[in-house]
Amino acid sequence: MEIIRNFPCLSILLAMFSAIISSALKGKGARRLNTFVVSAVGALSACTLYLTYTTGESYVYVMGHFPAPFGNEIRFGSLEAGMALFFCVIMLFSLNGGRDKIRLEIDPGKENLYYIMVDLLLSSLLVLVYTNDLFTAYVFVEINTIAACGLIMIMESGRAIEAATRYMIMSLLGSGLFLIGLCMLYDMTGHLLMSYIQASVRDIAAEGLYVIPLLVTIALIVVGLAIKSALFPFHAWLPDAYGYSTVSSAAMLSSLVSKGYIFLLIKIIYRVIGFDIFVQSRIINVLFVFGLAGMIMGSTSAIRENDIRRMISYSSVAQIGYIYMGFGLGSSVGMVASVFHILSHAATKSLLFVSGVGLTDVADDNKQFIELTGAAYRNVCAGLAFTVGSLSMVGIPLFSGFISKLLFSQAAVQSQMKMLPALIVLAISTILNTIYFMKTVIRIYTPIRSKYASVSIKENPLYAFTLLCFIVLNIVLGMCSQPITDWITQGLSVFA
Amino acid sequence: MEHMLLLSVFFPILAGIVLLLKKEYQTRDRLLVFVGAALVITGALACYAIFAVKDGVTLFYLTKTLPIYFKLDLMGRYFSLIVTIVWILAGFFSFTYMKHERNEKRYFGFYLIVFGVLLGLDFAGNLITMYLFYELMTLLSMPLVLHTQTRESIMAGLRYLFFSFAGAYMALAGVYFICRFGTTIEFTAGGVIEAAVLQENRTLFLIVTMLMLIGFGVKAGMFPLHAWLPTAHPVAPGPASAVLSGIIVKAGVLALVRVVYQLIGVEFLRGSWVQTVWMTLTLVTIFMGSLLAFREPVLKKRLAYSTVSQLSYILFGLSVMQPEAMTGALLHVSAHAFIKVALFLCAAAMIYQTGCTRVEELKGIGKGMPVMLWCYTIVSLGLIGIPPTSGFISKWSLAVGSLASNIPVFSWLGPVVLLVSALLTAGYLLPLTMQGFFPGEEYDASRFAGKEPSYGMLIPLLAFAALTVLIGLVPNGLTNQLFTFAAQVMQSI
Amino acid sequence: MNAIYLFLVVLIPCIGGALTPLIPWKKRGHMLVYLESLVAVNSVLVWILLFHRPPEMFTLVNFTGNLAIAFQMDGLGMIFAGLVSFLWPLATLYAFEYMTKEKHEKTFFMFYTITYGVTLGIALADNFLTMYCFYELLTLVTMPLVMHTLTREAILASRKYLYYSIGGAAFAFIGMIFVITYGETSNFMLGGALDASRLAEGRNLFLLIYVFSFFGFGVKAAVCPFNAWLPEAGVAPTPVTALLHAVAVVKSGAFAIMRLTFYCFGADFLRGTWAQYLVMAVTMVTIVYGCGMALRETHLKRRLAFSTISNLSYILFGVTIMTPFGLTAALCHMVFHAFMKICSFFCAGAIMHQTNRHYIHQLDGMARKMPKVFAMFAVSAFALMGVPGLCGFISKWNLAEAAIASGNRLAYFGIGALLISALLTAMYMLSIVIRAYFPKADFDYGTIADVKDPSWMMLAPLAIFVIGMIGFGVCSVPFTELFAAVAQGSF
Repeated sequence: MEIIRNFPCLSILLAMFSAIISSALKGKGARRLNTFVVSAVGALSACTLYLTYTTGESYVYVMGHFPAPFGNEIRFGSLEAGMALFFCVIMLFSLNGGRDKIRLEIDPGKENLYYIMVDLLLSSLLVLVYTNDLFTAYVFVEINTIAACGLIMIMESGRAIEAATRYMIMSLLGSGLFLIGLCMLYDMTGHLLMSYIQASVRDIAAEGLYVIPLLVTIALIVVGLAIKSALFPFHAWLPDAYGYSTVSSAAMLSSLVSKGYIFLLIKIIYRVIGFDIFVQSRIINVLFVFGLAGMIMGSTSAIRENDIRRMISYSSVAQIGYIYMGFGLGSSVGMVASVFHILSHAATKSLLFVSGVGLTDVADDNKQFIELTGAAYRNVCAGLAFTVGSLSMVGIPLFSGFISKLLFSQAAVQSQMKMLPALIVLAISTILNTIYFMKTVIRIYTPIRSKYASVSIKENPLYAFTLLCFIVLNIVLGMCSQPITDWITQGLSVFA
Repeated sequence: MEHMLLLSVFFPILAGIVLLLKKEYQTRDRLLVFVGAALVITGALACYAIFAVKDGVTLFYLTKTLPIYFKLDLMGRYFSLIVTIVWILAGFFSFTYMKHERNEKRYFGFYLIVFGVLLGLDFAGNLITMYLFYELMTLLSMPLVLHTQTRESIMAGLRYLFFSFAGAYMALAGVYFICRFGTTIEFTAGGVIEAAVLQENRTLFLIVTMLMLIGFGVKAGMFPLHAWLPTAHPVAPGPASAVLSGIIVKAGVLALVRVVYQLIGVEFLRGSWVQTVWMTLTLVTIFMGSLLAFREPVLKKRLAYSTVSQLSYILFGLSVMQPEAMTGALLHVSAHAFIKVALFLCAAAMIYQTGCTRVEELKGIGKGMPVMLWCYTIVSLGLIGIPPTSGFISKWSLAVGSLASNIPVFSWLGPVVLLVSALLTAGYLLPLTMQGFFPGEEYDASRFAGKEPSYGMLIPLLAFAALTVLIGLVPNGLTNQLFTFAAQVMQSI
Repeated sequence: MNAIYLFLVVLIPCIGGALTPLIPWKKRGHMLVYLESLVAVNSVLVWILLFHRPPEMFTLVNFTGNLAIAFQMDGLGMIFAGLVSFLWPLATLYAFEYMTKEKHEKTFFMFYTITYGVTLGIALADNFLTMYCFYELLTLVTMPLVMHTLTREAILASRKYLYYSIGGAAFAFIGMIFVITYGETSNFMLGGALDASRLAEGRNLFLLIYVFSFFGFGVKAAVCPFNAWLPEAGVAPTPVTALLHAVAVVKSGAFAIMRLTFYCFGADFLRGTWAQYLVMAVTMVTIVYGCGMALRETHLKRRLAFSTISNLSYILFGVTIMTPFGLTAALCHMVFHAFMKICSFFCAGAIMHQTNRHYIHQLDGMARKMPKVFAMFAVSAFALMGVPGLCGFISKWNLAEAAIASGNRLAYFGIGALLISALLTAMYMLSIVIRAYFPKADFDYGTIADVKDPSWMMLAPLAIFVIGMIGFGVCSVPFTELFAAVAQGSF
């Protein structure tokens, strides 16, 4: 069992080195290496999860030879391990689902570059998940940003480059704010390791010192990460970035990159600032309001959208709003709901992106709704998968979205003040989701004599298999949610 | 024994249904034989039931507390006797008249069914049974109204239906409350609701009673929901108008007697605003009906307006809530039934023989159809209230009762209105007689020559005229019975 | 009976229905026999269950914590399950004949049969969560039926149906969360499952939540102002309109409201509060509004759909009286209205199927050519009006009696609404009947010379409904007693 403790560090190194090796490989080799690495990291994370979940403890892994409080550390509990596993799974599915498109849309000479970016993305995500050092986190936030930019602009179209630039600017603004917050925190506490910062922050708060600087710090960090994870009203970069990149990128950006930042935020809330202090600061009310606004505004924008990819993107804004609304409730139940929604949304949104591309494929890459009429008959599995994703988004029982809705509402009921707004906005948001998702479902199932050719499952078995995996994942999240929520609760308690 | 009640109700209904479902008869005579036999048998059954059956009989239970129950009391016997007499006579009149209409089979089918339904209405021993047959009567008499199926008659039929249902449903509200708060729903002299309960919910019950008054009043053509009557009655075939105007409207009267005197109880209502409003409405109706009839040139419509007015005589008598007045009112039920049926049958005979519908076209008709016009004149005098006819007796009692009631204003206003209305009645009925017999020297009445109707039409007419005079000559037996009833339901014996 | 049968009756139609398009049928007849026997066997199973009720419940899966998908059969569920399982085989039989003129039969029958299972799932649900799940599923499986014809109109209608239904469910969801969070138990319990001390604390909040969930479920029961979807959903083939939009789907809404009111929040808690007055007033408005709109409508099926809106609110009015007597009356109308409305819809469907006429003004003189259909239509019209002796009178009587007995002054006005609605019903139903039976004297029967009554597959269900209407009307006592026993929880 002892050896498992090395796995997190090993997986990070594996991902980073594979990126370096890939630069020397051709496209095909890079792809194979990437698949291997993602699977291997997934396996390693699964082992870690097994260890941490069975023991119910967290472990610290010291990097280099400097002991705390000066050195660099990795810390992992069951939540981190599970998250890493989940990210790997989603990444694997997203890449498999968009494999054809990558081949088609990317210059063959640059295919290995794409996989370098993916490897880097994986490594930075793993670091964000595992690290116990705030500055390391910052460094990998930047790496993450660069990797994500690369993923967006690999298409080399005008729109993609514009989107990437916009993403870059917004993201850097976010990391800038994050960095300032970090500096102030270092100023106040003199530490960079999370556990030590937390201890100092608790002392500071107990003595009533630095009240305003502390508040500003929290605000800066939260806003910085919120910009990066596209919380309303900082979401302007998102539709273009998701809409004009290749499908695997879009799926990974929406379900991994933004979730990585959110996970980092959760980590900071619990491990750096301390949950109680975070709740006492009025920041959570701001998050709550922005979360609610995002739920509504994201969906309204999605309803107005006439392009299926951008519609799905806008839906992400709404879903990110759910997660922040969960933070805003300021209770541990709300946190559990938010974490569950990270999983559920990641599984569903990447499913939607991947199945959406199947639908646009049978309309000659036209993303306008009018061209998609009857697309579900031309590509049966994509249609089915899209329907499942939509139902999950709407919150139909048996799918994962229902459980997150359930958890959010149950959390909302615990809070006197925020109960009614949260419940009502949830209900309205459900209606809005219904409007745009079910409208699309009805459209793709409206038969029409079409000029476009059909695609059968046999032509692309990998794609169909990926979709099947996504669907199963979705239903597993929806049907067997109890162990998952148990795991999240346990993980969060180990966190603090 | 008491099953005779059921038999006399359901025999004509079944006969009617059989007739409707049967294929067309080969000859008209066979149809008439069937209908005639059914009418006579029903008449015999009904007479037996009216004079011999004492007990009640329950058919089935609608809900646990709602039995369909038949029992005859004096009121039931009185009304059903009138129905039987009129229905049979008018039925025989139709044998001749219906020659010039289409769809005779359907007409006679529904004629028989409505006969049964009316008997059921009169035999009803409790509120819900009465309500059941009241609704059925509305529904099933509708085909008689729109029989000719012209655009006008269909519209009139719909109007009839919807006004009647509006009334029935207003009344139904009352039915709900009475069934809930009453100790029983059987008709009981003096009411079924305990005085304490009534006092507790005084406003509620007054409103409910008012609703029922207006609701059942629709059938009796009471203002403000009387507008259907002058449209619906004239468009029907002659004999159908006669029974609609003479008999079916009386169902409203019967229902009101039941409600006011045997369910709510007159003690509760006397002196309340409900009584005042009711009296006002009836007086308005009396005057307005007569006035409209006076101005109406088409004979059948004129008679229909006259019905509006005359029915409110009856309702006025009931609204005074005084035994004498009530006796007058009840007497007027039979008087008006016979007279109005006779008048409509006369009109039908005139239309059948000459095709004329407007009064001025009938100038000089007495030259050609003297017997018929004599009948017309006798019953007209009855309606005006000239001795020795039944109308005189009833109106006399009405006036006396009203004056004896000591209700401020209305005790004398009533008789005044009655008198004015009587003058108007004379004004709208008698011109036909005068111009019919005395069209003037130079008027050419030859087109009426030899148009005297056949015996099939004359005999019913003569019978009605005779009945009118007969009741006027020997009213005592009937009056005493009715007075006893009135006194009993007002618990003033 | 073993409790697992409760789940089986839900499952059999779902699986059997889903298999329909997958089996390569040689002849249409084979498929029909398969479907009818599937549905009939399931109904027989349900009826056996009704008489041998399994005492315990059957748990299928656990969601989170104490939230489970579980089935059981209590009195209320029995009535709904019994009603649905009685009507379904008949409606299927009718659909066989009707669908000869429509396309995509297999898909149609697939969803039609699955809906049976889902509806039973609602009826037999043991807790709010299970009911909610099946409630959402019901929306989804019936949507393809609404858009069956795939015309633009049908697609718009199905969209609207979907938005309304899921939107409603989203608000009902709030109620569910409350019941789960504050319930003493997650199961349905007559008299209310909520913790009494919590209720006293946040009284107005709970009432507000009740109102939310009432309207949420009320969307399916087409309560005003959320009724716009129902008339438009009339574009679906008539078996759907008749069975689903007059019975299964809309009554699921009413059924859910009964569960919500009597089995979750508890009538004692709600009685006399502003919430009761509010929802009662809304049902009264709907009663009159539905009838008024029906009168204005000239399309036959849409007119009947508006009539359904009004009649559903009769049921809800009974529920909002919030006494056991009120529930009795509501159940009574739920069952009786099912017979009346399905009969009139089937007649309308038969007319459309035989003559392809959809508007009322095209029905002149039809009664002579289709005597059987119109006779039955007339009976259903009389029943809907509430002519004594037919079942409509009984349920209205019970409603009015319950309203009076409750002593609630607003309920007295409800009687007024019932009566106004009865008058309007008479107007919109009888105008059809009269038109068909008494055309203008100059009507030319030559124009409808080739019209005739449909085959026995359509007539047999109709005849059974007519017998039902008369039977319920004449001997209602055992049924009313059953409903009363259910409402008092002694059954």
